[in-house]
Amino acid sequence: MPEWLLWFTHFENSKIVALLLFFSTFCGILIYVFTGKERSRRLESYKYMPLQEDDEQSDAAEGEVADNERNKA
Amino acid sequence: MAQAAIVGSTEQYNYAIIRKFTVMALVWGVLGMSAGIYIAAELAWPFLNFDIPAITFGRLRPVHTTLVIFGFGGSALFATSYYVVQRTCQTRLYSDWMANFTFWGWQIAVGLGALSYMAGYTQAREYAEFEWPIDLLIAVTWVIYLLLFVQTLRRRSQPHIYVANWFYLAFILATAMLHIFNNLAVPVSLFSLKSYSLFAGVQDAMTQWWYGHNAVGFFLTAAFLGMMYYFVPKQAQRPVYSYRLSIVHFWSLSFLYMWVGGHHLHWTALPDWTSTLAATFSIMLLLPSWGGMINGIMTLSGAWEKLRTDPIMLFLITALSFYGMSTFEGPLMSLKSVNALSHYTDWTIGHVHSGALGWVAMVTFGSFYHLIPRLYDTRIYSIRLIYVHFWLATVGILLYITAMWVAGIFQGLMLRSFDEYGNLAYTFVETVAFLHEPYVVRAIGGLFFISGLLVMIYNVIMTVRRASSETAELEARLAAKMARAEGQA
Amino acid sequence: MIKHESIETNAGLLIALTLIVISIGGLVEIVPLFFINDTVEKVEGVRPYSALELRGRDIYQREGCYLCHSQMVRPFRDEMLRYGHYSLAAESKYDHPFQWGSKRTGPDLARVGGKYSNEWHVAHLVRPTAVVPQSVMPNYPWLLETELNYSDVQDRMRALKMTGVPYSETQQEYEANVTTFGADIAGRLDILRAEETLMQQALTYNYDGQRARITEMDALIAYLQVLGTMVDFSRYDEGYFTQFR
Repeated sequence: MPEWLLWFTHFENSKIVALLLFFSTFCGILIYVFTGKERSRRLESYKYMPLQEDDEQSDAAEGEVADNERNKA
Repeated sequence: MAQAAIVGSTEQYNYAIIRKFTVMALVWGVLGMSAGIYIAAELAWPFLNFDIPAITFGRLRPVHTTLVIFGFGGSALFATSYYVVQRTCQTRLYSDWMANFTFWGWQIAVGLGALSYMAGYTQAREYAEFEWPIDLLIAVTWVIYLLLFVQTLRRRSQPHIYVANWFYLAFILATAMLHIFNNLAVPVSLFSLKSYSLFAGVQDAMTQWWYGHNAVGFFLTAAFLGMMYYFVPKQAQRPVYSYRLSIVHFWSLSFLYMWVGGHHLHWTALPDWTSTLAATFSIMLLLPSWGGMINGIMTLSGAWEKLRTDPIMLFLITALSFYGMSTFEGPLMSLKSVNALSHYTDWTIGHVHSGALGWVAMVTFGSFYHLIPRLYDTRIYSIRLIYVHFWLATVGILLYITAMWVAGIFQGLMLRSFDEYGNLAYTFVETVAFLHEPYVVRAIGGLFFISGLLVMIYNVIMTVRRASSETAELEARLAAKMARAEGQA
Repeated sequence: MIKHESIETNAGLLIALTLIVISIGGLVEIVPLFFINDTVEKVEGVRPYSALELRGRDIYQREGCYLCHSQMVRPFRDEMLRYGHYSLAAESKYDHPFQWGSKRTGPDLARVGGKYSNEWHVAHLVRPTAVVPQSVMPNYPWLLETELNYSDVQDRMRALKMTGVPYSETQQEYEANVTTFGADIAGRLDILRAEETLMQQALTYNYDGQRARITEMDALIAYLQVLGTMVDFSRYDEGYFTQFR
């Protein structure tokens, strides 16, 4: 095992290891979520779910949703 | 979904259970807040204890916290989670009897809890005062709730689970975990209500505040964020500001909250490493909290005029603003240096209420004003009365939290001040005497807040009445039509 | 690569991941407290409560005293002057549940033991304003009128024994207690003799000033008078405790 890998096995370094682990996971999620045009468009499309319920009487809602989608495109 | 259109949402979904929980939320709200005002008054005018054991401050305070958190907040969460999960999954609740079981299980637990504290039975750990038989009832009810919620999710007719449901799910899971581990106790005997906590001293303290702060984090925050993610977009008739932000919001909030309980134990016999860790995570928690607030408020971006025309929107957005304020205040108070002053004082009480009244209650009121007319298939009785409620509630909260800031900060400063010879400048009881006026103002703030709730209840009663007279009228007209048709035939 | 959609469309996966994410914090912060030896200081003198003190502690909980009084002195100059030495974790190691509190509407009680006389406590509990005119504390006159029910005190001690408090039931356990706490205290920790030692303590000290009977007042004052008195701080050098923090 290379020397630098042993550093991770020392108990007193656990705080830094945990910090690196959590922080890189966080950055990973951020990068995943906020990059990629296609992915962003896809993810954002799910937010219309509550507005597409089957018994929506309000036409205004439909109109507004359509407007928003047009603005995005 | 042609069938749905014919059947109508009141039959397609189980609305009966939602109506029951909604009504009970309002009932517990009135009872719990009345208890709150009464104990606030007891601190201002101690003769109100009347030497009656059951209504002394020490026994009535858990009644207040239990009724508002579990009675009002809990019932509101059951009601809205059942509404949101059915609407966004476009399916009926998995089982009617399970839903009814959660209703009766929960109401009985809350009611028995309150009575048992007044009779002197308590585990003596804040917000976990329920004695062991009630804890068992809650545990069973909660497992049924989890099963019911998950089974309903699984039979959804939508491929996706909407973000509001993630928050409700996290709330249910976390509450189960917290409740079970924190209430591990050994009963005195099978026929005794009394039990002793399994843990002692420092371990007991940390477990309790891990529970205590996450009762705030998951019960009073995550679940109400679920409410926010559904009702704010619905009322605004616009989708939530950013779905991607809600993904980051959900995972980071769930992760970070569980670490912060130790900030209730700064400078105590809890080891320094734990309380430092708790303080660090408390600061980090500001980010997801504000991310969520921004996501909610910015939903209105481009439609701000709704705040001028729609009092329900006003409730929801004000709730989010209070949420932002108290989630800023929280990390501030979790700093060890600030905490040294604020801890054990009324500043903490004020902080809790800016979250509980400003965020939890306001977002519930807003959601209920949206929900109740839909449950009864009618319109709200009076929009003006919603404005009246809004202003009574807002004035009440502002009076409450300013009074508590004054009380807490000044008491903290008095307790740590020294005279020119290096002696303590004030005795403890001098600070008690100083607190009288803030305590009076606090009680008045509470009166404002509950009058708002009473206005809401009047509004709701009139709405439901109109709904039933509308139905009666409709049925009468239908019957007449049928009779005429029969006559012609 | 896993997509977030796979989580959003799969209830089971969403539950599993959520559970993992919410478990980490508690595991990291709570579990070590049970295993790191330095969490609770090594000091002499801390002992379980006697039967009478235990019943007093139950009454303390029943009346919700913990909602207005803390039992945790912090290491600040003003608190040292007002209450005494800051609290050690060891001092509540037999406290099931802990009563550290979160609010001081009244003063801290961690070291109230021995500060006031029994007579003062009786007068204060019956009507606090009689001795502290500005007090907002409720009156507790019924404590002086209600006879103490100690019929189930053995069950209570057995329940606590199950949680790990060293009350003794067998000869062997008793002898172990004699070694740790001395014969006098070991006698009071014996479950089989609990009722006898409870009566004896109440009669010897007569906390409530009424010889005829044992009241709830006896029990509560017995508890209050022992708070914070178990550790003899003159035996330890000030630097000693810092190694545990």
